[in-house]
Amino acid sequence: MSDTIIKASGFGKQYGGQFAVQGLDLEVHRGELYGLIGPDGAGKSSLMKAVAGVLSYEQGQLEVFGQLLDSERHAEAIKGRIGLMPQGLGQNLYGDLSIEENVDFFARLRLVPREEAAARKEQLLAITRLAAFRHRPMKQLSGGMKQKLGLVCTLIHAPQLIILDEPTTGVDPVSRRDFWAILATLIAGQGLTALVSTAYMDEASRFTRMSLLHQGSKLAEGSPAQILQRVPGCIVQCRVQPQLSAMQRLVARWPQCEAMGPEIRLFMPEPDQPAARQQVVDVLQGLECQQLDVLDAELEDVFVAMLGGKQTGTTAPDTMAAPAAPGSASQELAIEAKGLVKRFGDFVAVGDVSFQVRQGEIFGLLGANGAGKTTAIKMLTGILPPSSGSGRVAGADMKQAGALIKSRIGYMSQAFSLYLDLSVVENIRLYAGIYGLDRKARDVRLQWILDMAGLHGHENDLAAALPMGLRQRLALGCALVHQPRVLFLDEPTSGVDPLGRRAFWDILFRLSRQDGVAMLVTTHYMSEAEHCDHLALMFAGRVVADASPQQMKQQVLAEAGQLYRVYADNAAALVSPLQAAGFANVSPYGSALHVLTPDVERLQQVLRGLGVERPPQARPIAMEDVFVQRVSQLEAQSHATGSVA
Amino acid sequence: MNLQRVVAIAGKEWREIVRDRLFFTLAFVVPALLMLLFGYGLSLDVENIPFAVVDHDRSAASRDYAYRFIDSRYFRFRGYAGDERDAAQLIGSGAVRVVLVIPPQFGKTLAQARPAAIQTLVDGSFPSRAMTTKGYVTAINAAFSLAAVAQAVSHATGLSQQDALAQLTPIALESRYLYNQSVSSIWSLAPKLIMVILMLSPPFLTALGVVREKENGSIFNIYASNVSRGEFLVGKLAPYVAISSVNILLLWLLAVLLYQVPFKGSLLFFLPATLVYVLCTTGIGLLVSVLVRTQVAAMIVTMVVTMIPAVLYSGLIIPIVSLGAGAHVVAQLMPAMYYTDIVVGCFLKGVGLMSLWRPLAVLALYACLLFAAGYQLFSKRPNI
Repeated sequence: MSDTIIKASGFGKQYGGQFAVQGLDLEVHRGELYGLIGPDGAGKSSLMKAVAGVLSYEQGQLEVFGQLLDSERHAEAIKGRIGLMPQGLGQNLYGDLSIEENVDFFARLRLVPREEAAARKEQLLAITRLAAFRHRPMKQLSGGMKQKLGLVCTLIHAPQLIILDEPTTGVDPVSRRDFWAILATLIAGQGLTALVSTAYMDEASRFTRMSLLHQGSKLAEGSPAQILQRVPGCIVQCRVQPQLSAMQRLVARWPQCEAMGPEIRLFMPEPDQPAARQQVVDVLQGLECQQLDVLDAELEDVFVAMLGGKQTGTTAPDTMAAPAAPGSASQELAIEAKGLVKRFGDFVAVGDVSFQVRQGEIFGLLGANGAGKTTAIKMLTGILPPSSGSGRVAGADMKQAGALIKSRIGYMSQAFSLYLDLSVVENIRLYAGIYGLDRKARDVRLQWILDMAGLHGHENDLAAALPMGLRQRLALGCALVHQPRVLFLDEPTSGVDPLGRRAFWDILFRLSRQDGVAMLVTTHYMSEAEHCDHLALMFAGRVVADASPQQMKQQVLAEAGQLYRVYADNAAALVSPLQAAGFANVSPYGSALHVLTPDVERLQQVLRGLGVERPPQARPIAMEDVFVQRVSQLEAQSHATGSVA
Repeated sequence: MNLQRVVAIAGKEWREIVRDRLFFTLAFVVPALLMLLFGYGLSLDVENIPFAVVDHDRSAASRDYAYRFIDSRYFRFRGYAGDERDAAQLIGSGAVRVVLVIPPQFGKTLAQARPAAIQTLVDGSFPSRAMTTKGYVTAINAAFSLAAVAQAVSHATGLSQQDALAQLTPIALESRYLYNQSVSSIWSLAPKLIMVILMLSPPFLTALGVVREKENGSIFNIYASNVSRGEFLVGKLAPYVAISSVNILLLWLLAVLLYQVPFKGSLLFFLPATLVYVLCTTGIGLLVSVLVRTQVAAMIVTMVVTMIPAVLYSGLIIPIVSLGAGAHVVAQLMPAMYYTDIVVGCFLKGVGLMSLWRPLAVLALYACLLFAAGYQLFSKRPNI
């Protein structure tokens, strides 16, 4: 039997005359954890469904287990050997059925013999730690549990190939790490082959091999290390005063440059790190450079660099028309939440949330799906009355001046709230009309929005026909049409490609720094949190941390130590010996390990004892590490006090 | 066909229906509720028509004339109106639907054996009701005239008034209504309501049940496994047919016990024949569900393809024979008409398979065609 499990040659799939994927070649071998990485609309789902034999295709050939999939009958031949977990958290599971009933249904559907099914069920529920909740209806599970249950149901008939479509989207980082660890165990233990897609670039390092997809074609293929080598370079991260002029100088030289809160991060196609440092220092001559680090490039940087050539001219203009009421004192509070609580029946969606956002500040509300972010925003914008607590938004009381608040704020929702069958200009005019702008003001704002969002040339396109990135900027423009002083952005970047996300953050940065707009942004991309000036981490309806990204990292540094990456051939096997040696914070990271420790000397000693000679490499702590650290602490506390969250 | 898979799917489906409060209501409560709402709301009998009288004569004869109406069970007296303007207002406001205007000198004119005219104002906003009302008015008026003539004849000839009446009506019309002796509309309506409700409920449940899986993505469990199309469809639809079977009994009990409709036929024929009809309408739901992708679309399409034939082309309101030529052909193509024959035959006529085998065969053929089409169009490897 051949070792090639999936072979696509010239694969193409079209919907209504438009190709979602075109001319795609790839091969997946037995035992691989193969990743498909790309934003919404890159063609990941189409390929995965076609591989599973549940979607017909128009172009090229697709062979799975050596079987050519060209008809419904031929596709049937492979279905006994595959497991498919489609996109959407728990969407393929049955909400009214309990965990056990869901698993049993899948087992019976797959004709697994009774004893074998019972044994596998117990084994899988034990691995995923779901056994204790077996009688709980699926709809009452958390996102992370739904996703693990989906995995159990996909694996119950012992398939040889599993196809998981975005299994980690919208799941909190702790559950995500847990999921990857379980998947790695299963693949190693059961000789599985897995085809997994993700929109999170930071998960890419977990794959054996992968393809980067963009707009229906393949940008690169290979192991994470191979892809990193495609565009050699490094990252320079610095903190310079004044930030805005430093930014202008650096962007002129290295366009792949972004602001992250008070810091600037740029990618430089210069693999020699000391040389890179010198070049940046030269450019920043005369400015006050407070801190400067040179780091290895991450996959996302490489991805953006590869796309760089394809970038369409949509960068924001340098200067923006200032809103009507400029220059409010930066100490003025734009948003203030005091003890906000929202209950739906017995369910506490938001429990006692307090925070403050100053004018000109980007405030990030972070958390997984279901953590309570959207509910909090809805209360502050006056859409949902709070069960208790109070708040002030744009100088007005949230409870008494709902209408006043609505006229002073901009709100961009998860779904972008555009009218997809109206054109770009019609959408903007509609919003201008809703906010009561007169004709003259409207035309001024129209021009401003077209400039800001880079929509020139698309004025008469239907919103539905715009790529996600442009659609998102149009939605932002519509939210800004009445020049609000406070802007609420609810998951504004979900589903948008890294390039689009960067351009978007660039605009937000300018809005806050130049125009003094206060922003409350929610996101489940932990990497985006770095763009914020101040963060609140939400977990199960509560704010579990409230500080600047730097402060949060400092705190983790103080509590758990520096982050080190350990490279070893058998990294996964080192987890338990390291934990036994007293290193509490060890987690697999792709083919390497991440360890948090204050004592690198001892780590190196222990590693040498385990036969690992290569010294661990210090890494800057990412927001995801902060979140995992915080939540793990909380869970440990609640276990210690005996109360189960 | 592997029975274990069929049972697995049917069992899963059943649990979901029973645990989902909305679906459960839709399955078991809504059909009975429709029976009650339609039954009380759609009665076609015209009784207790509110009316007023403008009496410009105020004589014994005029009062006598008015009492003919006041005593009738078809009319409900709402009082005397001052003049025609008041009367028009009463009709306009909907307080009354008929006004009788008795002219001055009415009694005297009659006594002189000259013809008198009574003006009748009828609210014509519902034509069929207005026609029925006019019929009642005409009949009561004719009876009054006849009595007046009979009185005059008995005066002149010395015959008793009854004999005079008999002489005046040489041909008496004796009508006997077969199958529905009291011509009560609920008797004919309730069986037809069973037809309408079983035309709506099974396709709705089926279409929503299947499309729900498509919409939320759990259909991929079916697509991606070795379950055959036949196994899936049988397992998926069986619970809905079972629910509808329970509803057949429920609706039959409501018709017989609540509306007191006599059931003259045989349950041994009626129940299996109704099951064939339910299979047929379930097939409509199946066909809709393979063609649409969202639950909203499923609802709208099902509504259009079931409601219109069930109400317009079934004989519910307009008898099939009264339909225009085109509509008549359309009715022949719809299953509702055939089941109307069966249900009315079973309830009111007491006929069975001998006279109803033809519509039953058509329904069975219909069911087979719908299921065959649904099976063919359902693909485990669609292109979207």
